[in-house]
Amino acid sequence: MEIIQPIITLLFFPAGLFVMGNGLAYLWVDRKLVAQYQNRIGPRWFQPLADVVKLLSKEEIVPTGIEAWLFNGLPLLALACALTAAVYVPLVGLQPAWSFQGDLIVTVYLLSVVTMSLALAGANTANRFSLIGAVRTLTQLFSYEAPFMLALLGPALVAGSWQISTINAFTGQHWLILTQPIGCVVALVGLMGKLELPPFDAPEAETEIVKGALTEYGGRGLALFQLAKAVELVVGLTLIAAFYLGGIGNPIEFFVKTLAILLVLAGLQSLFARFRIEQTAKWWRFAALLLLVQWLIIALLGGKTL
Amino acid sequence: MLALEKFIVPIGPQHPALKEPGHFEFAVDGETVTSVNVRLGYVHRGIEKATEDRNWAQNLYLLERICGICSHTHALCYSLGVEALAEVTAPPRAQVIRSLVAELERVHSHFLWLGVAAHEGGFDTLFMYSWRDRETIMDVLEGLTGNRVNYSANVLGGVKFDVDEKQRAAIQRGVDYLEERTHHYYKVVTTDSTFIRRTRGVGTLTTAQAEHVGVIGPMARASGIARDVRVDAPYAAYNLFPVNVVVETAGDLEARFVVRLKELLESYRLIREMVDNLPPGDLTVRMPRKVKEGEAISRIEAPRGEAFYFIKSNGGEKPERVKVRTPSLCNFMSIIATAPGHQLADMPMILAGIDPCFSCNDR
Repeated sequence: MEIIQPIITLLFFPAGLFVMGNGLAYLWVDRKLVAQYQNRIGPRWFQPLADVVKLLSKEEIVPTGIEAWLFNGLPLLALACALTAAVYVPLVGLQPAWSFQGDLIVTVYLLSVVTMSLALAGANTANRFSLIGAVRTLTQLFSYEAPFMLALLGPALVAGSWQISTINAFTGQHWLILTQPIGCVVALVGLMGKLELPPFDAPEAETEIVKGALTEYGGRGLALFQLAKAVELVVGLTLIAAFYLGGIGNPIEFFVKTLAILLVLAGLQSLFARFRIEQTAKWWRFAALLLLVQWLIIALLGGKTL
Repeated sequence: MLALEKFIVPIGPQHPALKEPGHFEFAVDGETVTSVNVRLGYVHRGIEKATEDRNWAQNLYLLERICGICSHTHALCYSLGVEALAEVTAPPRAQVIRSLVAELERVHSHFLWLGVAAHEGGFDTLFMYSWRDRETIMDVLEGLTGNRVNYSANVLGGVKFDVDEKQRAAIQRGVDYLEERTHHYYKVVTTDSTFIRRTRGVGTLTTAQAEHVGVIGPMARASGIARDVRVDAPYAAYNLFPVNVVVETAGDLEARFVVRLKELLESYRLIREMVDNLPPGDLTVRMPRKVKEGEAISRIEAPRGEAFYFIKSNGGEKPERVKVRTPSLCNFMSIIATAPGHQLADMPMILAGIDPCFSCNDR
């Protein structure tokens, strides 16, 4: 009987199907909010799901002159990594399904693999838009990765642990957004960079390079990448809520806090014009410096470790 | 060997940035554009030739359909040319109504451009807001003429409809609202820091360059050349309602935004003056079926610059030749002058900055 529990956890709840559905629902919330900010009506509630179902049912056209197994395999890798990352975070306010000392590093790493597969998928074509998209995706990855990582390690430092569940328990008593505001902002914006949301959507700027790295994807691959992004969104929101907004102890806290962050994210998305890729890179250099300053302050004021 | 070849990024004829077909080849080195090649003519419809098979009145409706944005421009320019040939002058009230619709059209065209340019820069919020406000002017035009796009305001020798008291009130209401909004957008494009970073110093066309490539319309006025047909050679009612030319000297994308937004304010002033001072009288004069033999040139200031018509009559019911030159053609070359050295990410905005109209250009 003890084999059934992990299978349900992995495939249905809270990881697996649930997190995908949650991701699509949050994607809808995001689109609806941005639409409202922009004075539009926005999509109906099932639109992201309908998009994925439609794409899954479509034929995948594999371009000639490329590695077909890579073309088909990368979307799977991206989704698998995003789903694996979901296992380590306190979804719905429950204890993470799996947990060990240092799982924070693994989670951040898995989220990076999603972006890496995106870039590889773009590099694995002869399409000019895809190639430029891949280069931009990687440039953006290198620019936001360090500050994002530093922003997530700030709470880990003061909690004295690199285990997400321990940090979550610690932040349950401490609202780190008050003591580490810079980290919170950088983590939030880092998530936007990770998800390539406007204004950091240079890697898939449609008016320049069509769909960036994913230009050649039309059917299943595109659907899987979209699912991976949706899961990444939930994981990212959960991490930020758990680390900076007083932890996540129960389902109500989970939904209220993640949706609050999503509200802010949607606002940021509709406020700005798109950054050029070199402007994005500049922004992150600044953010990384600020974070290092914050680290220094934490260390001086007596963080538990370091 | 492959590495030595140029890496060319095509924009168009099928591309999300351009809703109309035109082909631009940008040779890039990394993200930097090194050279540009322009290819046009994808939507050639043979309209100029088709005019030779239709009579003078029918051509009015054909030519109006050259462009969906500046349809009144074409109809007006053609009417003025044919009336000059036939030695007929439209009555004063008709002339003012013609100018009025032309200014309303300029407002709708500039709002459309504002949205498109913002969208190319990835600022979709401004795009959505400006197009929402553009609906105001579309409603005014529909209330005035019955149509949103091809207003069909002109007939040879006058205009088709009158402006009554109710429509006057609707126009004033619309203009009041839009004036307030335009001030807001002016503030956005001149103070929003992320937007300025995409427009200030981007795509700069110096006055000398502008003279050299011969740009016209708002492009020229953004580069410090005070060139406007409404002032240089007033037509319709522009001698009664003089225009203050808006000139900026920076020549970059920001200046093009500023020029067009200030022109909007100038248009509101003109529209108000026109509806308040409509001269009484007839709307049309009689137009002969056959037009005297001869040649005529008519020029008017379209929202994008000077539109030019050459009309030749052999004394019959149909024109011998109608030649159209639209402003976009003069402005395309500025891309070749401004684009090299900029980032690929700036190309859509530089392209949109000239407000290209491919269907006008190719006819």
